[in-house]
Amino acid sequence: MKPREIRPRIYWVGAIDWDRRLFDALVPLPDGTSYNSYLIQGSEKTALIDTVDPAMEDVLIDHLDQLGIAHIDYLVANHAEQDHSGALRRVMAKYPRAEVVTDPRCKGLLIDLLMLPEERIVTVNDGDTLSLGDKTLEFVYTPWVHWPETMSTYLREERMLFSCDFFGSHLATTDLYVTDEGQVYEAAKRYYAEIMMPYRTTIQKDLKKIKGYAIDIIAPSHGPMYDRPEFILKAYYSWVFEEPKNSVVLPYTSMHGSTRRMVEYLVESLIPRGVTVKQFDMAATDIGKLAIALVDAATIVIGTPTMLAGPHPDIVPAVFLANALRPKLRFAAIIGSYSWGGRTVEQLVGMVPNLKVELLETVTCKGFPGEADFKALDNLAETIARKHQEQGFD
Amino acid sequence: MITKAQKYRCTICGYIYDPEAGDPDSGIKPGTSFGELPGDWICPVCGESKDEFEKVE
Repeated sequence: MKPREIRPRIYWVGAIDWDRRLFDALVPLPDGTSYNSYLIQGSEKTALIDTVDPAMEDVLIDHLDQLGIAHIDYLVANHAEQDHSGALRRVMAKYPRAEVVTDPRCKGLLIDLLMLPEERIVTVNDGDTLSLGDKTLEFVYTPWVHWPETMSTYLREERMLFSCDFFGSHLATTDLYVTDEGQVYEAAKRYYAEIMMPYRTTIQKDLKKIKGYAIDIIAPSHGPMYDRPEFILKAYYSWVFEEPKNSVVLPYTSMHGSTRRMVEYLVESLIPRGVTVKQFDMAATDIGKLAIALVDAATIVIGTPTMLAGPHPDIVPAVFLANALRPKLRFAAIIGSYSWGGRTVEQLVGMVPNLKVELLETVTCKGFPGEADFKALDNLAETIARKHQEQGFD
Repeated sequence: MITKAQKYRCTICGYIYDPEAGDPDSGIKPGTSFGELPGDWICPVCGESKDEFEKVE
């Protein structure tokens, strides 16, 4: 690979990870990812913004060599997580006079996670600037995207915002800028859903703060850059500010088809009532798709048979994730089949203390569902549609 | 009798706000009571708002 020139003396020097399929040992990456690192040469000083995952640090070093970079003054660390900071040690060894520039919280984390020498780290406050000569970096604290220490770096003269994970998308591509907004929308939403959703009230403040900057290009640390920033800003606004939509997310598990029949019936009953449903069989689904659906859903319906006197173990990750992500959900319901008994509902309710939801009627049936059960599912569909309407969700 | 300053627990992650310690990472000085925390102060562990805190009995 070769470094890519973005503007005169501003380069992309990161790495594209085409084949990575799992992040944080949890999150599926259907389209791989990239670790974007940016080199900015001012008339006096040179800065590198973030690095790459340590597995690909050779690529970063090779890019710097290809550009003939003999000296770097500042290594800006917007975020301490290893996929961006993990090559810092190697870069610091190559450029022994370079200083790491970061915020105080990130400094602590860099020392904890990477054992970086404290004396080579300088800290900056929100709004501080760093002159590179004819170029100026301004540091903008943007906490909780998705750790407490995250910040962005604004290059004033070029009106570029280096936002790190904020606005990022897991997408391996040779395109420097977004070309297919539909594809990037989903990738960015997946990324937001999986790691940022719980912090959306703080992200609201981050977005308002960023509004005060004139931005021509957003350069995140994953995925392509945005030369039409309003596209991703508008998407984030809808995810963090807007009310949930008239939609139901329905993760379920079925062993012998009884619970599946209930799920199918409920979906069929919700459709004519104008409610959007997203149904996920936990034996087959990509958990990222479920997380995306949780961004907008007003109601979660959990479908599970009773097994070993409780919910089926395969449904538990979906419920655990929904609780941890603290989505905008307002209502919840549980449906499923059992054969002799158990504490399925009680156990599931105990798993979601973080959800501020109203629990709607439970529909459980003994064995395969019959007429009375279908009637109960129709009633549940009616309740969901009415509740959504009362709240004005559309 | 000396009354200790009231501690508050985050109901999401269990973090305990201790007024004696404050939250220096977020610029909150030791000796700041829970009530004196700014409205936009958030849990330093899980990012939740003040509303999610309850008194430690």
